[in-house]
Amino acid sequence: MKKLHVGAVAAATGVAVVLTGCASGSGGDASTDGKPTIVVDMWAGSEDDTTALEKQVAIAQEENPEVVVKLQTAPWNDFFTKLTTNMASGNMACVTGMSGAQLGGFTDGFRELTTDDLEAAGLDFADFNPGAEGILSFEGGLYGVPFDVATMLVYYNQDMLTASGAASPEIGWTFDDFEDIATAATTDGKYGFGMGMGGYQWMSMPIAYSGKQPASEDGTLHIDDADFVDAASWYSGLVTDLGVAAPVASASDTGWGENQYTGGNAAMAVDGTWNAVSYLNNESGFAAGMAPLPTGDHGNSGPILGSGYGISKTCDHPEEALKVMGSLLGKDAQDYIASSGRSYPARTESQPLYFDSIDEQYREQVKTVFESAFETTVPLYMTKNWEKLDSYIQPNLVSVYNGQMEMSDLLESAQTQFGN
Amino acid sequence: MTITTKRRGSLARSEARQALGFASPALVGLALFTIVPVGLSIVMSVYDWPTFGDRTFNGVDNYATLFTSSPDFWPALRNSAVYTLLYVPLSIALSLVLAIGLGPRIRGRGALRVLFFIPVVVPMVANVLVWKMMLQPQGLFNGLAQSWFGVTLPNFLADPSWAMIMVVAMSVWQGLGYNMLIFSAALEQLPESVLEAASIDGARGFRLIWSVMIPMISPSIFFATIMTMITALQVFAQPQLLTGGGPGNATKPLVMFIWEQGFTFGDLGLAAAAAWILFAIIIVITGVQFAAQRKWVHYEH
Repeated sequence: MKKLHVGAVAAATGVAVVLTGCASGSGGDASTDGKPTIVVDMWAGSEDDTTALEKQVAIAQEENPEVVVKLQTAPWNDFFTKLTTNMASGNMACVTGMSGAQLGGFTDGFRELTTDDLEAAGLDFADFNPGAEGILSFEGGLYGVPFDVATMLVYYNQDMLTASGAASPEIGWTFDDFEDIATAATTDGKYGFGMGMGGYQWMSMPIAYSGKQPASEDGTLHIDDADFVDAASWYSGLVTDLGVAAPVASASDTGWGENQYTGGNAAMAVDGTWNAVSYLNNESGFAAGMAPLPTGDHGNSGPILGSGYGISKTCDHPEEALKVMGSLLGKDAQDYIASSGRSYPARTESQPLYFDSIDEQYREQVKTVFESAFETTVPLYMTKNWEKLDSYIQPNLVSVYNGQMEMSDLLESAQTQFGN
Repeated sequence: MTITTKRRGSLARSEARQALGFASPALVGLALFTIVPVGLSIVMSVYDWPTFGDRTFNGVDNYATLFTSSPDFWPALRNSAVYTLLYVPLSIALSLVLAIGLGPRIRGRGALRVLFFIPVVVPMVANVLVWKMMLQPQGLFNGLAQSWFGVTLPNFLADPSWAMIMVVAMSVWQGLGYNMLIFSAALEQLPESVLEAASIDGARGFRLIWSVMIPMISPSIFFATIMTMITALQVFAQPQLLTGGGPGNATKPLVMFIWEQGFTFGDLGLAAAAAWILFAIIIVITGVQFAAQRKWVHYEH
């Protein structure tokens, strides 16, 4: 019987080893018919997304007949988990999609792009939206080139503003205007503004107010900078001092401000340009509008955000991969992204096509607001431990908004814990 | 005689081989999804093991880091302890009261039991949504308090002193039906003759419950206590969904800390070490409970 036990364990281990071996893949990109295969890995949540990506990949294939371009996709929620696994096992696709917000945790997997690399890809940041080079940059290194750009806007419920007699936000409005509108719209148990809990949603107003960022380009944290602290304290004061926003109910309400806005409980909220179309066609049926972030004493410096492609460090054919990436970010592919209305393209000459895809009734508003907002955007700098900082600040914001903690104490404590 | 023994021996071997054949898929599953991960997590806990990049052996450094320099570990340990100390006695006591209350004299007790069991089978996300709608400042409780009594209630889930109480309250409500069912089943099994004898001896009401019924169902109470304690120490979904571990880290239990270290911060070594500390705590407390059971659990009727 002892022999049998040993045999059973050996058999089980053998099968386990075989299965584990099967799961780990070959690593790198295989060759097909003598042509190198360049895998493009990107998130896609629906058939439409996949079809759109297939069209872009077809453009890249046509422009690069010397390689076989292969697309692989995963839904947004799974993409970064799969990417982590692929990176850990050395199977990261040669051309990999990346969002500016997530880059900090994945720089180890990406090749740092040089001027020669950009030249090999046929890409020049002069053709892209100003500030686009900062989107997939981290601590001074460039890890990718964006295919779309985004920034933060103030969205407003025109019906609520009209009913309360408040003015509407306009291009060029100031923080004083913002306070006046928020105060006038706070009536009948409704509030003028929905407080942001997400990193971009809460941070972009203090950045615009003070003209300061919580980190420098080289990845140094200075979230306790006096001007930024003052601006952030003004922001939390919208609940605690001015009373124009509701206190947040729970730290798990990560989309509090945006939900308050879509639910008709708040007249204004800050969110990204990526939600512009869905807010205009909102399910609640209210007339929605949008405006750039208010202008502070230092101008209007909203953060520029976006997603793009980078080359994996482990890619066996980096030269070919760079060319494929160049095609995916080239004029034809960018024109396609813009004219299908999927997102606001990073390449400047393709941007007008995006507005043509918007419903005619909203087209002019979206066009003028986008153009104005993107004119003054600045790259958002982050630190290596940004995730930890974010996960420390967010649950404490609830206490700040509820008046149980001072914003200055929170930011100073964050600096002590996460400063370099 | 010798021939018969040999035949039996060969039969046993052949049956054992067949049994092994049938069991092998389960063994492979056990090896792949239990033994290998458990073994790997022990190894991980003594390594600096980032999600990607080089892994380096660091002995007991992860354990030392947790106890000496990790700002969230002690609060998480405290939160798990507070949650367990509040949740287990409350859940056991209330389930017992409910099970006894829904005794044979209650009409429609089957339907009532189903009602109390519904929160157990309803997905946690739905339960949490309902509780959030009741507890938030614009929610049901505050609305009623303001309109009926003119009193403004605290922002329960955002107040550090209330948040944990609300997580416990919601968890007790959610898990009440499970233990109630165990106790109800045990109460149904009580021999009529013993209850009758106790009643003839003059035991009534609380005396009957305390001196006769509870000692007789003590094995069920012991089982429920052990299982409830283990699930309480492993709590994750309730605070994650209801309070996000906040405000600050006021409701972040040990499992949420482990999850955050492993999957948000990518420090698998530290997460594995914290998981083994949790394992050790559960084993020790369960061991103590088993040792203590001799004094209060009665297995013979």
